[in-house]
Amino acid sequence: MRLPVATRYALRSVRRNTRRTALSVLGIGIGVGLALFVDGINRGRAELFVRATALSGTGHLRIVPREWRVRRDPDLRLADGAADLQAARALPGVAVATPRARVQALLAMGTHVVPLELLGVDPALEPAVWRFARHVERGRYLEPGDRDAGVIGRAVAERLGADLGDEVLASAVAKNGEIVGAMIRVVGIVSTGSDEVDAGICQVPIAALERLTGRAGPGEIAVTFADWRTVEAERAGLVKALAPGDEVMTWKELTPDFEGHMRQDTAASRIVTAIIILIVLLGVTSAQLAAVLERRREFAVLGALGMSGRRMAGLVIQEAVALGLGGGLAGLAIGGSVVWHFARAGLDFRRVMGGSYAFAGLLIDPVIYPEFGAWLLVEALSIALLATLLASLYPARFASRTDPAVALRVAQ
Amino acid sequence: MSGRAALAPGAPVIEARGVTKVFAEGPQLVPALRGIDLTVRAGEFLALVGPSGSGKTTLLNLIGALDRPTAGELTVLGRPIGTLSRAERATLRLHALGFVFQAYNLVPVLTALENVEFVLELQGAGGERRARALEVLRELELADLAQRRPAEMSGGQQQRVAVARAVAARPALVLADEPTANLDGENAEILMHLMRRLCAAHGMTFVFSTHDPRVVAHAQRVVTLLDGRVARDEARPPEPAHEIMPGAGRAPGGA
Repeated sequence: MRLPVATRYALRSVRRNTRRTALSVLGIGIGVGLALFVDGINRGRAELFVRATALSGTGHLRIVPREWRVRRDPDLRLADGAADLQAARALPGVAVATPRARVQALLAMGTHVVPLELLGVDPALEPAVWRFARHVERGRYLEPGDRDAGVIGRAVAERLGADLGDEVLASAVAKNGEIVGAMIRVVGIVSTGSDEVDAGICQVPIAALERLTGRAGPGEIAVTFADWRTVEAERAGLVKALAPGDEVMTWKELTPDFEGHMRQDTAASRIVTAIIILIVLLGVTSAQLAAVLERRREFAVLGALGMSGRRMAGLVIQEAVALGLGGGLAGLAIGGSVVWHFARAGLDFRRVMGGSYAFAGLLIDPVIYPEFGAWLLVEALSIALLATLLASLYPARFASRTDPAVALRVAQ
Repeated sequence: MSGRAALAPGAPVIEARGVTKVFAEGPQLVPALRGIDLTVRAGEFLALVGPSGSGKTTLLNLIGALDRPTAGELTVLGRPIGTLSRAERATLRLHALGFVFQAYNLVPVLTALENVEFVLELQGAGGERRARALEVLRELELADLAQRRPAEMSGGQQQRVAVARAVAARPALVLADEPTANLDGENAEILMHLMRRLCAAHGMTFVFSTHDPRVVAHAQRVVTLLDGRVARDEARPPEPAHEIMPGAGRAPGGA
């Protein structure tokens, strides 16, 4: 099929001044490439934040007693933990669903006391949702069959003066209101790199916590998915399957500060992208306007032949689309290569930030892996085409208003 | 709007009554035309002559609906130019008028065939437009140049392609501003013969401006402008048909 003459004309016009066209395409390409890189980092950071949240023990979803949303009372227990656990594990895409229980406690050794939230976990499953199980600095993490064992954070150990093999006293308020206590043998000391996080860590087998408090069953179930983007879709199905009295909260609801932080980051990167696009847009406008001015006589002749202003504008816009496609592909090549490289190697901010950092009680590894995927193609072409189309509006209007009589008079 | 050349012979194509055009140059008003009265009928081959600044190009611009008169009435193919909007004038030019420019003004990135086809495409012609464009080039004996771009053609060839572009849609009126000004004598002759042949064969009306006495000799009617007024309007005896259409008026097998 032959292209319309107008389209052939537009495409060949783009090639008239190859240096200008090459520079325009390169300019669009660099701009689009930068925008892709910024968005790639933003997406990677979102992934990082979600991973940090989910694997800090929060889970992508958490099943909690309904009252917990308001009271946040660690003594609350699920209405039917076993049924909820079964329902969660039946969901498609679920990686892990693990039960937990909490209690406010005091750890004491000698004259030293540390207040914290004692966490009862399933030793076999917890490492899948709590990444710091792999950060045991000394000793080991909990194992199935442990009875009175516990792992504590490095800051807790320092404050108590405790070491591996030491026994610390955990005191808490039992279900019947009495203050009860149990000895915990330190089998592991965890160092996350953040004192803030380390100072709150004390994990024991969930059965040990049940014995201590007299409260049976889990107080929550942490659920992680293979792909966190499916969480919202799966949530509704899980809600229907839960025991009455229990409900589901997402990681966003559990860590609202974090969600706000992510939104701020996204907004900031969108502003950066908008600035980049604006700069590209002005550059393309300038180049296209120069091209139209150079061909003012030609447009005047087309006008004399009866070409309407709208069709002349269409010609300029077709040229912009050609430039946009070229620039989009150049941007894809530039931005895609950079994103691909850092998606594999990671963008390591540890040198400037000095290791990991904690935010809202969650520990974050400042190594961002920009997201590489099909979105790059869609976004590269969308940004390039949108920018060049916007950039062509003024030159197109200028071309459409060329007065054939005046232009011919000037030309002659 | 029909631009086809098939107007009744003698039907008025251009009617100008007291047409005046004044340009503003800064605070000064410069009259270019001062009350032109002129009637041009279908099938005429008319030359506009006069010294530089006499108003030839201005009058062609007005007749070609590129501009509007300051005063007076100008009707082209029944359309009052002074009252038409910009878009309406563009439509009139597209469907009913053909233009030949002094500097050829072919689109440099298009081939000869595409230059001709482009006008037909603008008119909304369908898939047959390429064949029609090629037919026009063949008629003007330019088929060999169909795939050449303007830079690959001589000035004379470019101007003949420009004529092909102007007549491709069979407009009722073809306007040419100094069409031979950039051509040598031989190419100027070829071009004038070509235009006369088209005028005779398709009944198109040709109005062209010129300084060249050799070109004026081809005209059937010569209108002389002086200081924006018609100074003289003189008819010439028509030339024998075989002079402009090879084979016409000759005995079969005649030399």
